Amino acid sequence: MIRFENVTKVYDQKARPALDSINLEIDRGEFAFLVGASGSGKSTFLRLVLKEDRASSGAVYVAGQNVANISSWRVPRLRRGIGVVFQDFRLLPQKTVFANVAFAMQVIGKSRSVIRDTVPEVLKTVGLEGKENRLPHELSGGEQQRVAIARAVVNRPGILLADEPTGNLDPTTSMGIMGVLDKINQNGTTVVMATHDDDIVNEMRKRVVELKNGVVIRDEAKALYTSMIPIVGQSRRLRDASGRDEPQIIPPRAGSRAEARAEIRTAGEAQA
Amino acid sequence: MRLAFVLSEIGSGLRRNLSMVISVILVTFVSLTFVGAAGMLQLQINQMKGYWYDKVQVAIFLCSDGSTAPGCATGPATPEQEDNLRKLLQSPAVAQYVNDFQYESKDDAYKHFKEQFSNSPIVDSVTPDQLPASFRINMKDPEKYEIISETFSSQAGVETVIDQRQLLERLFSAMNAASLVAVSVAGVMIICAILLIATTIRLSAFSRRRETGIMRLVGASKMVIQLPFILEGVIAAVIGAALASVTLWSVAHFFLGEVLSKQYPDTAFISPGQTLILAPALIGLGVVLAGTSSLLTLRRYLRV
Ligand SMILES: Nc1ncnc2c1ncn2[C@@H]1O[C@H](COP(=O)(O)OP(=O)(O)OP(=O)(O)O)[C@@H](O)[C@H]1O
Ligand SMILES: [Mg+2]
Repeated sequence: MIRFENVTKVYDQKARPALDSINLEIDRGEFAFLVGASGSGKSTFLRLVLKEDRASSGAVYVAGQNVANISSWRVPRLRRGIGVVFQDFRLLPQKTVFANVAFAMQVIGKSRSVIRDTVPEVLKTVGLEGKENRLPHELSGGEQQRVAIARAVVNRPGILLADEPTGNLDPTTSMGIMGVLDKINQNGTTVVMATHDDDIVNEMRKRVVELKNGVVIRDEAKALYTSMIPIVGQSRRLRDASGRDEPQIIPPRAGSRAEARAEIRTAGEAQA
Repeated sequence: MRLAFVLSEIGSGLRRNLSMVISVILVTFVSLTFVGAAGMLQLQINQMKGYWYDKVQVAIFLCSDGSTAPGCATGPATPEQEDNLRKLLQSPAVAQYVNDFQYESKDDAYKHFKEQFSNSPIVDSVTPDQLPASFRINMKDPEKYEIISETFSSQAGVETVIDQRQLLERLFSAMNAASLVAVSVAGVMIICAILLIATTIRLSAFSRRRETGIMRLVGASKMVIQLPFILEGVIAAVIGAALASVTLWSVAHFFLGEVLSKQYPDTAFISPGQTLILAPALIGLGVVLAGTSSLLTLRRYLRV
């Protein structure tokens, strides 16, 4: 569904690239976490998928199409196939919950009757039934994020990109949001979520792609926030297609898997 | 649905930016009024040319009652004197410069006068006797006026020889200068209007960046995102152009029609109806101004 071939993104010629020769494929229906320190290039990755920015070199494929070949007047169609959720919700403050979600349908010309039927359905999916007429400031952060998710998926995109969607939420609320995202993923939507939230990643046990300084240093299925299996080469994806040197390898940890996991948890908590 | 959406967006944009929208209306109003004033002067020139310019280049006025010129010592021109003049005009020495000529009797002159000043009260105070008969000469080359003037001024029965074209041209060049001034002022004002529209659109785009950001993300087309902004500017400019048209009409109606035509009853002024042909041009110009300046602004400030 999303494929990066040798993608490099340079914002500033003097600085290191934000993404450096990334090779990555995310299949249809998959749920992938994008983790890594601040500035490692997670948001940049998502922006390239949306064609908000163009890759400096390499090719980004979305749904089989090289986004570089999509002419500017066709970009809206690309974006209709991708829902996006952000840390700061980005709701329209003067519109009700219903109107915020309906907005996404209005602007692409959906008819009033379709909107009337679809919006309540989606609000139910994200667990907001009965709150249609609230304004955003009358909702909790978690509820606002649910509205944002509803808006992102109301046009049934094949892909949902989430950039730290739980960044402003407490752990319990975050788990609720993850439940919603998981449900959307179960319905067949490919979900890519950039996050710093180790608890969530550890709880979900989904694919984890770890970036460091613009390079993929780990790509594991059913993984944890921090590396459990030390060698990157063992991951199912990270065969470097370019044939260049393997990215930096994290030194192996001592001890059994279980110990390692415990260690990682504490490390993660310390980090948080 | 999309149309309703675009319309509601325009409505909210106009309301949110009301003071800027009003200033756009006023600036386009003033600038287009100057453009229209230049247009009105040109219409007025054409109006005056229409009657005289091509018909008459040189007029030989014959003596009438009360003429004091030396050639009129014998009183009003006699039929014999007129015949002599006609023969002279047909003689090869003069005819080589003349395309054709017409004799305008006192009655003809009165008739033309009435036609030309049909709007004007002076018509009632003039009688055929007061108007001189004349020969109206269409020159092959208007520059050769001197030859005609020298030949005829001293003839008996001729009161005066006038190059009407020269008189008119002096007037027209004054009016052209005035319309040039109007156009220059209009030019400056139009630059103001363009900059102001650009600023307004930019502010409008800025105040709605949340909406447009979301529209971009959910895949709204460029047209749906930009059209409300463009139409906002265009609507303001059209209102300004309409006000300018009304102003020009009022000037023609009240100032030219009621005031100037009383003060200068012997001048044919354009009618208010004629200024209305300027209105579509002004509105079109307003639309083009607003449309292009907002398009250019949006290209920079509202990336899609
Ligand atoms: N628009 C931009 N112009 C210049 N540099 C940028 C731009 N956006 C990102 N960068 C740089 O690119 C690098 C990667 O940034 P990015 O936003 O992708 O990181 P991130 O992994 O999302 O970080 P965070 O976890 O803090 O959101 C950073 O070094 C950042 O400074
Ligand atoms: Mg980021």
